[in-house]
Amino acid sequence: MEFVERFKKSFNIEWVKLELLKTAYGKKETYMGQLDPRVIMIWYLIVSLLPWFTFNFVILLGLAVYTSVLALITRVSPLIIFLLAISVIGELGYIFIVVFFMGGDFEAYASLVTLTLKIIIMSIASIAAFASMDPEKLSDALLSFGIPAQFSFAVSYGYRMLPILMDEYQQIIQSFRLRGKAPEKSGFLKWKLIYYYIVIVIKAFYPMMLNTAKRTRTTVEALEVRGFSYSLHSEEAKKQKLSHLKIKGKEYQFIAVSSLILTMIHIAGHFYYI
Amino acid sequence: MKPIIELSDVHFRYPGATENVLNGATLSIEQGEFLAVIGGNGSGKTTLCKTFNGLIPNYYTGDFSGSIMVDGSDVSQMTVSEMSFRVGYVYQDYENQLMRPTVLDDVSFAPLNFGAPDFMEKALWALETLGIEHLKDQSIWQLSGGQKHLAAIAGVLALDPQILIIDEPVAQLDPHHAKEIYQRLKVLQEDFGKTIIVIEHHTEFIADFCTDVLLVDQGKVLWKHPVRQGLLQIEDLVKRDIFPPQVMQAALNCEIPLDSSDFPMTIADAQKYFHGLQFIEKESESDRIVEKKEQIASLENLSFSAKTLSNERKTILNKISTSFHAGERIALVGTNGAGKTSLMKCLTGMNKPTSGGGSIGSHSFEKGSLEKLSQEVSYIFQNPEEMFIQDSIKNDLTFFSQSRERDDSSFIEKLIQSFRLEEVLEKDGRLLSGGQQRRASMAIGLATNPTLLMLDEPTASLDVQSRKELIEILQEMDSVATALVATHDMQLVAEWATRVIVMEQGEVTFDGTPREMFDYGHVWKRAGLVPPQIVQLSIELGMRPAALSVNEFTSRIKEGVPDGVC
Repeated sequence: MEFVERFKKSFNIEWVKLELLKTAYGKKETYMGQLDPRVIMIWYLIVSLLPWFTFNFVILLGLAVYTSVLALITRVSPLIIFLLAISVIGELGYIFIVVFFMGGDFEAYASLVTLTLKIIIMSIASIAAFASMDPEKLSDALLSFGIPAQFSFAVSYGYRMLPILMDEYQQIIQSFRLRGKAPEKSGFLKWKLIYYYIVIVIKAFYPMMLNTAKRTRTTVEALEVRGFSYSLHSEEAKKQKLSHLKIKGKEYQFIAVSSLILTMIHIAGHFYYI
Repeated sequence: MKPIIELSDVHFRYPGATENVLNGATLSIEQGEFLAVIGGNGSGKTTLCKTFNGLIPNYYTGDFSGSIMVDGSDVSQMTVSEMSFRVGYVYQDYENQLMRPTVLDDVSFAPLNFGAPDFMEKALWALETLGIEHLKDQSIWQLSGGQKHLAAIAGVLALDPQILIIDEPVAQLDPHHAKEIYQRLKVLQEDFGKTIIVIEHHTEFIADFCTDVLLVDQGKVLWKHPVRQGLLQIEDLVKRDIFPPQVMQAALNCEIPLDSSDFPMTIADAQKYFHGLQFIEKESESDRIVEKKEQIASLENLSFSAKTLSNERKTILNKISTSFHAGERIALVGTNGAGKTSLMKCLTGMNKPTSGGGSIGSHSFEKGSLEKLSQEVSYIFQNPEEMFIQDSIKNDLTFFSQSRERDDSSFIEKLIQSFRLEEVLEKDGRLLSGGQQRRASMAIGLATNPTLLMLDEPTASLDVQSRKELIEILQEMDSVATALVATHDMQLVAEWATRVIVMEQGEVTFDGTPREMFDYGHVWKRAGLVPPQIVQLSIELGMRPAALSVNEFTSRIKEGVPDGVC
């Protein structure tokens, strides 16, 4: 029971909010965080594509271990890991049930696990990559790859809106609770209470969107006043914006080490085939 | 001096609207002016200011006629971007104008958009000029309201425009920070030669800082005068619910033959003007005759702490013990970040005390859920939109009783009448005007029939008329519920509250009547509060205890004529 109490104390909306903000805005002093975002983007593309070219279990395991180590180095928030773990466990369980009822054997299960492993590698790689880039770096990297400025700005503005949206959402939920009534008896496994909360969480969504939408009217006008639409057609503006991106020794080192490790994993897979 | 802005016969109608917002506006503004634009609600102040930077007619393409010349060029021939080098615009909801994650990013946003190679220097210059360079690496969302406002001003200043327009600079700030903003603007005007235009209805600030006043009415410029002459057009002002500074009201109220040319506008003026007057002493005990009524809630050593982004625990409330009684009007004051909102959230169950606690009725603050506590306590959010969780005001009003399957229709009917909500019942709260929203949100709060009603900054960003209505409503509340109001509005404290609780860094540093608080200079000075002008004047004149309202001030003048007048 004590564990439940502790869990309830530390696992609440406030905590989720803090963890998400930390992921988005926390100080990026990790190894990956100091690299040029373009290098990380390319690394991510390669690592998440590689698993789809092979069915070799050793290579897949190797990739999974490699990406997990990098994710550990970037100190990913426990919330994100928790979410990933839930989805992986859920996925495996669901595969098991499907295979069991469809009368498949272990082989069928193994091939589905391979698919899951591939997806896991992709997710871990994306966690490692995106948790180590702040939104600004990400949007600059996108811009330098020639993606339209509207889109790359939307990415960084989305992050900027994140805390505002979350505050708004939390307050609307509280507003519902301040005038609502929780069920008297919580029922078997507290299902009545859980149902009550789920309904609030869904209903609170609409007022949040409306309130936020209303605020963005000023933002749109201010974008115009502050020269954003001008910058869309200005090469000079783009050059200035990206002037801080540089590939130096650290980046070359990262590229070399990564290529080496990836090659070794593939060689190992060649010799030990499962 | 040559005019930097000239409008002649400007008409404008927003696309899709049926009536003109601007109806032949003509004006000229000289370089280096500090101009206050005043006018009643819906008079077209904001629309007028949006013509100065070309948002009208270039961004809002409605029906437009007339000519706008800014700095020698015809605005209708320029793009909004080109104009932003000449005119900076800071919105009333300035938070939505900040669009980058950190302060430096945001301030360099505009110069960067225009591809200036020295964008960093420009941004740093703007930050330095406003004295906030220490904030440059902070995340925008971690800043306080005042800091955000300065960041928004820096963001437009970075382009070094000749003209700065600021819509309601102090609406959401405590008086201390409000003054600071104005002082910074004054520096920009005096030392950097900028033309500053503010939309403002706090005449005390106008008197202290502005050089000229412009009155807008029904889309026309009624007049533009130097500040003293402007504020003396009392009939014009009062008709539009704008009140002259309190010291001026006091001078007007006096039955003394007066020479209007040296009417006081600022406290310094008034000190000379009223110098040598004798005042009737008033027993400060007279306020205390009010007997203590039944206790409705008590707090014992209530503490609250929260985790910060860097994983540290920060104490927000530190061992607060107090009790509330039936029929009290309590004002909770202190600067931004003193813990007022956190305390109120502890009383609703939104924040759980980390140690200590207390109770209201049969519910405790430590254990009670929001839903249970809401039978006794009602909390009205600072932003009324947070209260609108249904698609019409009517459904919002009945939400509480319906979720409890009770029939409160006669009570709700009464609320609708006394808050004059008949016309907006079927509307979504978000579509109402500021004053209507505030009234509706209060009615929604009261619909739960609470013993303790809490309001967070109810007068912030309200125009004068709506503010007056709100105070009237608050005054009738005594019989219904005990009211606890967190506020920066010291005039509200002086004229409405029977009890003030001063908070400072999570602790209660004073608890007593408003009169006592204003009498103890060290209390409000330490807590960073600024008393209303009339209270400050009475203190300067040695009046003991200080008068809390203009009426009290004038009624306590003994026979005689002030030195300054004759």
